Amino acid sequence: MKNVIISDATLRDGSHAISHQLTRAHIAAYAKAADAAGVAIVEVGHGNGLGASSLQVGLSLLSDTEMLETARENLTHAKLGIHVIPGFATVRKDLELAFKLGVDLVRVASHCTEADITERHISSTREHGKEAYGVLMMSHMASKEVLLDEGLKMQSYGAEALIIMDSAGAYLPADVQDRIGHLAAHLNIPVGFHAHNNLGMGVANSIAALQAGAQIVDGAARGFGAGAGNAQLEVLVAVLEKMGYHTGIDLYKLLDAADIVEKEIMETIPSISSTSIVSGLAGVFSGFSKHVNLAAREYGVDPRDIFFELGKRKIVGGQEDKIVEVAMELRDGTLRGAHAK
Amino acid sequence: MRNNKSIALVQGDCAEALAPQVERLFELKNRVLYVTGGTGFVGTWLAEMVSYLNDNHSFNTRLMLLARDVDAFRAKAPHLASRSDLELIARDVRDIREIPEEVSYLVHAAATPDNRQHMSAPISVMETITRGTAAVLDAAQKLPDLKKILNLSTGQVYGRQKDDDARIPESRAGTLSCDSITSVYPEAKRYAETLCCAHWSLYKLPVVTARPFAFMGPYQGLDKPWAINNFFRDAMKGNTIRIIGNGLPERSYLYPSDMASWLLRILVDGTPGRAYNVGSPYGITLADLAEKIKKYSQSESKIEIKGMNDDRSRFIPDDTLCRESLALQVSVGIDEALQRSLRWLEAIA
Amino acid sequence: MEKVKVAILGSGNIGTDLLIKILRSDCLECSIFIGRNLSSKGMSKALSLGVKVSDQGIDAIIKDPGCCDIVFDCTSAMSHQQHAKVLSDLNIIAIDLTPAKLGPFCIPAINLADSVGNMNVNMITCGGQASIPLAYVIGQTQKQVDYIEVVSTIASKSAGPATRLNLDEYIETTEKGIQMYSHCTRAKAILNLNPAEPCIDMQTTVYAQVKNPDMAALKKGVDEMVQKIQRYVPSYHLVIPPTFENNRIIMSIRVKGMGDFLPSYAGNLDIINCAAIAVAEEFAKTLAANRG
Repeated sequence: MKNVIISDATLRDGSHAISHQLTRAHIAAYAKAADAAGVAIVEVGHGNGLGASSLQVGLSLLSDTEMLETARENLTHAKLGIHVIPGFATVRKDLELAFKLGVDLVRVASHCTEADITERHISSTREHGKEAYGVLMMSHMASKEVLLDEGLKMQSYGAEALIIMDSAGAYLPADVQDRIGHLAAHLNIPVGFHAHNNLGMGVANSIAALQAGAQIVDGAARGFGAGAGNAQLEVLVAVLEKMGYHTGIDLYKLLDAADIVEKEIMETIPSISSTSIVSGLAGVFSGFSKHVNLAAREYGVDPRDIFFELGKRKIVGGQEDKIVEVAMELRDGTLRGAHAK
Repeated sequence: MRNNKSIALVQGDCAEALAPQVERLFELKNRVLYVTGGTGFVGTWLAEMVSYLNDNHSFNTRLMLLARDVDAFRAKAPHLASRSDLELIARDVRDIREIPEEVSYLVHAAATPDNRQHMSAPISVMETITRGTAAVLDAAQKLPDLKKILNLSTGQVYGRQKDDDARIPESRAGTLSCDSITSVYPEAKRYAETLCCAHWSLYKLPVVTARPFAFMGPYQGLDKPWAINNFFRDAMKGNTIRIIGNGLPERSYLYPSDMASWLLRILVDGTPGRAYNVGSPYGITLADLAEKIKKYSQSESKIEIKGMNDDRSRFIPDDTLCRESLALQVSVGIDEALQRSLRWLEAIA
Repeated sequence: MEKVKVAILGSGNIGTDLLIKILRSDCLECSIFIGRNLSSKGMSKALSLGVKVSDQGIDAIIKDPGCCDIVFDCTSAMSHQQHAKVLSDLNIIAIDLTPAKLGPFCIPAINLADSVGNMNVNMITCGGQASIPLAYVIGQTQKQVDYIEVVSTIASKSAGPATRLNLDEYIETTEKGIQMYSHCTRAKAILNLNPAEPCIDMQTTVYAQVKNPDMAALKKGVDEMVQKIQRYVPSYHLVIPPTFENNRIIMSIRVKGMGDFLPSYAGNLDIINCAAIAVAEEFAKTLAANRG
């Protein structure tokens, strides 16, 4: 029987879905339930990770300390994980705090071509005796050869796994097989996949990844995540069980955890909206959707036009300020959108 | 921070390793030894050994250590930095134009084995190795009384050990795939070796090469993310020791007092134009290594073998050449080496 | 006026770019271009321009202290620790483009006049030179500033291994600079790298949380500041004018490099060089005035 490690991003990617307004009660309730269900890793924090609460990507209701303390109190078997992006979070101010709060696993993420900015953060994590993964975001924007090269760097820094993210929800299953296959064949460390559902491929892509050699997959309860959401965790686990994988998760208890998210945390159940489809096709970071909608309303322009332009300009995660600039250009007519009124 | 206990440990190691070698090293008496990369792991150990020989056997050997960051050395080994028979020269190896003409023995140890740096700054790493080696060889040409140059290469020039080789002999040609970033360091070192060969052939420059494998002991910091460092760190902290694969890959580790005494003998007695493996021929699996470290550190750590890959590779040198031609052998076995390493780590904690 | 002699320590891309800018200056003359290796690109460029070169490092100045009154140090933080002492003993002004931060910060558009008189001046960071002037205006024009945030996005190609290894230092130094000049205690700096080809120009966005913002005063102050900066960084321009939306102030600037030796997308490196030249020219004018 094949083993698979499930990493639950509900309390981190889900943060995007409610503009980073997770409360202590939300975190406590879900963490406890996920822990009881046997989830291996529970990731907690602002959608853009540790130290990311900002005007650029959204202010968080709770501080990192409050979020991690609450989660730590409510997890006994599952590992407490965090997402960290160098450039947003520093070792001294942010990471060392996380170590003190009892974080078990640090997933250090960079844009898919910039792995060398993760060296310090991964090294520091290993020096503190914590587990470190390397993460390549917006991975559809690089070839599999580049992803391998960047993955080898993270492996050399001490990363114990490499996760590639489909941050835009842009992949089709064949793309995933191709990339994961290449990485799994050439890296010593295990490979993982993080799906987004913009083109309805969340679960299918995750399965394709596993079949191509991945050993770790991310999911979120009810798909609670940025944009169209992540691979829906309970569906994923059910499918994996049907396929004969060993997840270590009690499906019924996981369904209970998902109910908590639906009833107590979400504002709306993730669905694939028109803008999500456009952003998926345009290959734009899923976490932009709320910002794009806000800017579209503020400046009176079509959000789909904003997405297309951001995709054309190859804007990466963290560049939310460009959303305002593009919206203004559309408003002022210096840029013509296909959907201009 | 160095303290008397840690210094005494190292000096004890030097005494023991050098005891059977002192007479064979008499050639170094009253000579000047110049070491590039002089403040790194190898340079520091050579400095400890030469200091021991000077203090206890009146060798009167002068040391010149060349390095980019001499302040770091002063902090790491103040007892060495303050010696009158040791001179620190702050310079990048690529910028060497002249070597003092009193120098008769040269050890070229400048380069970094930190594979993180190979990944993050591959061009500057290759440049340091290739241009640095060229600069050293050019400058060495002009020395009126040069007896030997020892070029520190790397066992990685062999590439992956073949499955049917129990150990890698120096005669193995080795294969590296030049289209991967993981080849940056060994490829540059291979070029450096061949450049040394060219100088030996054309100018009869007396160059010998050492191909170091893996070491563990004093002055080896735990910051590089190598398996053995992770095991030490996790065992000492009581954290779970994680082995990503099946625990079967085999490696070998030479204690640095053996390493340094071997290097000094190769420097003095090695045959120009030859390469010598420097490393322990006794392999140990990663799983066994973790068990031993746990035992000797009296740690409560759990050992978790995750089985996420099926790597069974070996990387172990054949020591026949050093043993038969230079009468060198491993004097500190793995168990003793581990225990001494732990003592050192506790002493500097 | 007679040109003041300056030396450049560090023959890499930054130093070579500075050299070309100095050759255009009315009041500065590069008397010596110093590095460690005569065969580097920068050295050959300097030679081709007829500038005296040396591979002796700081020793070149120790051997001939009269060769210059001002030194631009673009070596490394570690080397600058050593250089600073030497230059101070020789009574030579040091303009520090490394992260060493031994001397006080200088932003030409803000405290140029105050900097004259210091023997060692630090140029902070590229993001700092771009954003701090705007943070300063916010501090000057607004009564209660609760929080200032600065986000810079630069082309991946303009960030080499040294920058990438020192991202944290960059963030901390920039934040410190923002706090100092705006007098707002809560500051955050963020850096993004974008690999898109053709390479993007440097863009810096400044956000602020201000109670009862006075947007009219802010717009006026920002316009004046942008004009001031354009005198030494011609391509510095607003792409998002100061705007109050969704409970925050937002403004954004873009800088294209002059393309002297650094490529034009490296506006981040160019702005720090232009600022350093502006500082040197101010020192030069003062020196000349004192002599004349």
